[in-house]
Amino acid sequence: MTRSALLLLGAAALALPIALPPAAWAQANGGGRALAPGVKVEVAPAPGSGSAPAAGKVDETALRYYARIGDVERLEAEIARLRALDPGWEPPKDLFAPQATTPGVDESPFWSLVSAGKVAEARAAVAEQRRKTPSWQPSAKLLQELDVAEGAGRIRQASDTKRWQEVIDAAAAQPEAVACNRLDNAWRLAEAYAELKQADRAFDTYKTIVTSCPKAKERRDTIFKASRYLSPERLRELTALGATSNPATGEDYSTVRTAEAELETGRLLERLGNARPGTLSESDRMRVEGIVREKQDADGAVALGWYFQKQKKYAEAQSWFAQANGWTPSDKAAEGLVLAYNGLGEKARAREAAAPWKGRSGRVDQALKAVDPPRGAGGTGGGRAVPQGPSPLDQALARHDFAGCLSIIRSTIASSGPTSALMQQRGWCLLELKRPSEAEAAFVEAQALAAREPAAKEPAGGSRKPPSAGVPAAATRAQENAYGQAIARLTTGDVAGLTRDLPRANLTPAQKAEIRAALIATEANRALEDKRYNDALRLLDARRELEPEPRNLGILRGWALYNLMRYDEAYRQFKTIDDRLSTEESREGLSTAWKTIYHDW
Amino acid sequence: MTGEGERVSGTTTMIQATMIRRAGRAALWAGLCAATLLTSGCAGWVRDNLTQSPTPWRRVQPTALPVTLPENRDFPIVAARLRDTGTVYKSYIVALGNPTVLPGENRLSVDVQTLPDSLFGALVQPPRVFPVPLYTMETLTETTKREFPAMRIKVADAARRNHYGDYDYVTAQDAENTCVLAWQLITDHKRMLPERIEAVRLEYRVCGVGSNVRSLLAPFDGLTLTLPETVLEALEPGGL
Repeated sequence: MTRSALLLLGAAALALPIALPPAAWAQANGGGRALAPGVKVEVAPAPGSGSAPAAGKVDETALRYYARIGDVERLEAEIARLRALDPGWEPPKDLFAPQATTPGVDESPFWSLVSAGKVAEARAAVAEQRRKTPSWQPSAKLLQELDVAEGAGRIRQASDTKRWQEVIDAAAAQPEAVACNRLDNAWRLAEAYAELKQADRAFDTYKTIVTSCPKAKERRDTIFKASRYLSPERLRELTALGATSNPATGEDYSTVRTAEAELETGRLLERLGNARPGTLSESDRMRVEGIVREKQDADGAVALGWYFQKQKKYAEAQSWFAQANGWTPSDKAAEGLVLAYNGLGEKARAREAAAPWKGRSGRVDQALKAVDPPRGAGGTGGGRAVPQGPSPLDQALARHDFAGCLSIIRSTIASSGPTSALMQQRGWCLLELKRPSEAEAAFVEAQALAAREPAAKEPAGGSRKPPSAGVPAAATRAQENAYGQAIARLTTGDVAGLTRDLPRANLTPAQKAEIRAALIATEANRALEDKRYNDALRLLDARRELEPEPRNLGILRGWALYNLMRYDEAYRQFKTIDDRLSTEESREGLSTAWKTIYHDW
Repeated sequence: MTGEGERVSGTTTMIQATMIRRAGRAALWAGLCAATLLTSGCAGWVRDNLTQSPTPWRRVQPTALPVTLPENRDFPIVAARLRDTGTVYKSYIVALGNPTVLPGENRLSVDVQTLPDSLFGALVQPPRVFPVPLYTMETLTETTKREFPAMRIKVADAARRNHYGDYDYVTAQDAENTCVLAWQLITDHKRMLPERIEAVRLEYRVCGVGSNVRSLLAPFDGLTLTLPETVLEALEPGGL
């Protein structure tokens, strides 16, 4: 049996505190037809109905229809359903043989409409046929299928508009609409319970799915869905049930068990990102460390690095940033590494770590300012040549304390006046605080101050010599200011203006390419929102020529392909991303593409 | 005569021939144009009409804003942006100075919803750029969490009043700073709004140092809408 005739019975759940066992739900999927919530009548075959089954026999109409159209998956589900109704029943041997046309009305066109999801049209066609042939009665199975499809539609509509109670009512009225072969509706039902704070019923619904639906992938997806609503303990219970209950031959349930571990890792990493020192228990931290090492997860290693950096445990932070950089070199890891070395007082190594990204990454350039602070930004008063150790501003930057950065710069300006370097640093800190308009103004002011300052004030890093081949040029202060302005404009959404001004902007080629890539990414996002999917792909392709495609744009590419009905390509795209690091977004894309390809909604 | 007649006749024939040639050429040109248009994609179509999508933000001078704010040293206008959504909505963001070290821009947002000026415009309208009601308790909680993370939030018990009637607001506080988020939907056509304007939505988000809520709200209390058509101020309660 590939699919049980499971019914995630809203009505049963309303009437009973716990859900019925799957066997009972399977019984509920008999020939009964729901006319109103909780009311079922048996539809007797009408005399003269060509396709109605003979008394005592199961209705094979749908079975033959699925065989004729070659829908193997539904065919298997129907065989399982009929076997549940009548354990002694065997599928007819001539299932795939052409059938002689039975007298009466051919129901195929109605089934085709139902199959295509055109339920209202199917209803209308049935009514029209009955008007033409008053003696004809549609088969019970067709009527049931219509009811179920309508019920499923009501559930989807209510769920899409967040009318949760209506979801439950619709499921209660049409329990067959929330079966394993309509898993999406079952998830919607569980979600409705959860949204209405009926946690036990939500859990029961998820539990029924993972213990009754045979496919490992469906069970795994259910656990991911449930993770939004269930506590870790209940999720653990659900996973254990999903990995062991009612196993079907040929299914590998180990993927169900790993789902919990993946969720746990995600949760711990999220907590790690938000954690204040000491808020993560030793055991949790060690667990994350183990998982990150095992999966060689560079993002996880960076998160661990910042966790230690915030606690001023620079040696541990340095080790994790270095690990991340070793697994997947990135400017994020390099930024952390620079600041961790700086925290350890190893400035030479900090500069060394920054070298591959210097002038190419805003975040690394900014981190370098903590190593070699711009003149006047020390906060310890001007003119003193004696080394003072990291200044308060350096320390604030190393801690990622951007509010502190603003306070220090403000007090420094109040005591010794503004400098270009200070204003530029203020611009970077404002950007980090999501205040791009003020940041842009700060960079403009920095530019104006730089023009008034003597040339000797150009920082050591701001080399004006032409770049040698293959080595990215270090940006001058003017270029850094222009770069800061461009980033600020990008953040405010001034895409059109920035695109217009970019060719004339005083930026290094690397900075220009970075801004251009960011502009194209913004445009690609907009194209996707505007449903210009071909445009989105065109822009993403163009962007990929400038820089490797980051994960979020890879997901965007997947959705553009999906919406262009290039499902196989979309699936491959999501799969590639998901295989590297499985996240909610990648799983959603993968699952949606898969369901679409295999008509498994 | 005859010769003249023949000449006339000959001229007529020439004119007719010229006309026929011109008609032929015109038909040829028309055919070519049509073929060019068809093959160049000009006669194609796209599934979704983008005239209803929001345009990218573009910067505008503060003088081009449809709103005037009272002078305020703490909250000067830093930048202004504008975008259109279809022909119906114009949205403005006025970024204001932020004297605190808190994250997030201080700003005034103004959305002006006009009535379409054609039957087609009335039939094809973009989705509304702001919800009505502007906030539910759920969306307000979500917004304040996002705007003022780690601050104590309090929804004001009573509405305040500016030139355009009552408005609601929340306050957010930490040890050193106070923030406010105020919102207002102006839909009164009886007195305030001109016929062409369906609604004006205002949202004001400002953080300042200290705990004086009234001073934070002062710019919102004192703002004046300066749309092309006159927007009248609300009547004072009990006023004429």
